[in-house]
Amino acid sequence: MIELLATRWAYAVFVFVMATGLYVMIGSPNLVKKVIGLNLFQSAVFLFFVASAYVAGGSPAIVPSEGGGGPYVSPLPHVIVLTAIVVGVSLTAVALALIVRIHREYGTLDESVLREVTDE
Amino acid sequence: MIEYVAYALAVFVVLTAVATALLRDVLAAIVLFGAYSLGMALLYTLLLAPDVGLTEAVIGAGVTTLLLLLTIARTVRPSGDRTAERVDPRALFACGALAVVFGLTLPGLPAVGDPNAPIVSYEAVTGYYLSNSYADTGVENTVTAVLAAYRGFDTFGEATVVFGAGVATLVVLRREVLT
Repeated sequence: MIELLATRWAYAVFVFVMATGLYVMIGSPNLVKKVIGLNLFQSAVFLFFVASAYVAGGSPAIVPSEGGGGPYVSPLPHVIVLTAIVVGVSLTAVALALIVRIHREYGTLDESVLREVTDE
Repeated sequence: MIEYVAYALAVFVVLTAVATALLRDVLAAIVLFGAYSLGMALLYTLLLAPDVGLTEAVIGAGVTTLLLLLTIARTVRPSGDRTAERVDPRALFACGALAVVFGLTLPGLPAVGDPNAPIVSYEAVTGYYLSNSYADTGVENTVTAVLAAYRGFDTFGEATVVFGAGVATLVVLRREVLT
């Protein structure tokens, strides 16, 4: 168990933070907290990708023009994570704009209050 | 030595994530989330992904925190004297079950930093980009080469998503922008 945590610590952190983020999304009544939970979930997945590309004792994927050096970490997961970070912040911006609009219309950000108001 | 720094950062990230989840005051949760993002950025850098670390520090810890703060400045913070959020047992059970299922896959994954892990050692993909990116694109940083040249259309699609999100935000908030 300890050995598993020592060798796969980044994946363990990924599992734990991902579950925490999902919990915030489901369990928190506040809409802004739900968006924070979404971001926790996202960055945990990014950690999974970055950790899977890592090589102990390697160097970042910057190869000199004459070649050689290494071992290098795999650049491909880094690229997809860079794209996902930017898409994630776009998602957050739209979600927060909708939250500002909801607050303007209903005067609350509490999930249960919103449900009561919209049921009438 | 470097492992211990990584372990300490991992503990820091986990603690700030839990504290973010438990605090009821949204402002405190946002500040802790900023600290969490910064810890994550350092962790990415330690895992030899400096590009990802920089982007996370600027966008995760910077822009996202700023957007969240702007939102609560325009809306409300929950009032009341409880500091901790009320725990929802059903959600806790569902997320715990998910964590257990994912946790059971841990022994099947290669160890962190294993040079024989398929993702690193597969010559036809990772090896190709590492040995040919300078000849193909003239860029020494393979991450940049893949992002801007090999996968240029993906990045163009990403820019389209950002543009769409900007337009959507302006449409949703139209009254405020125009007046």
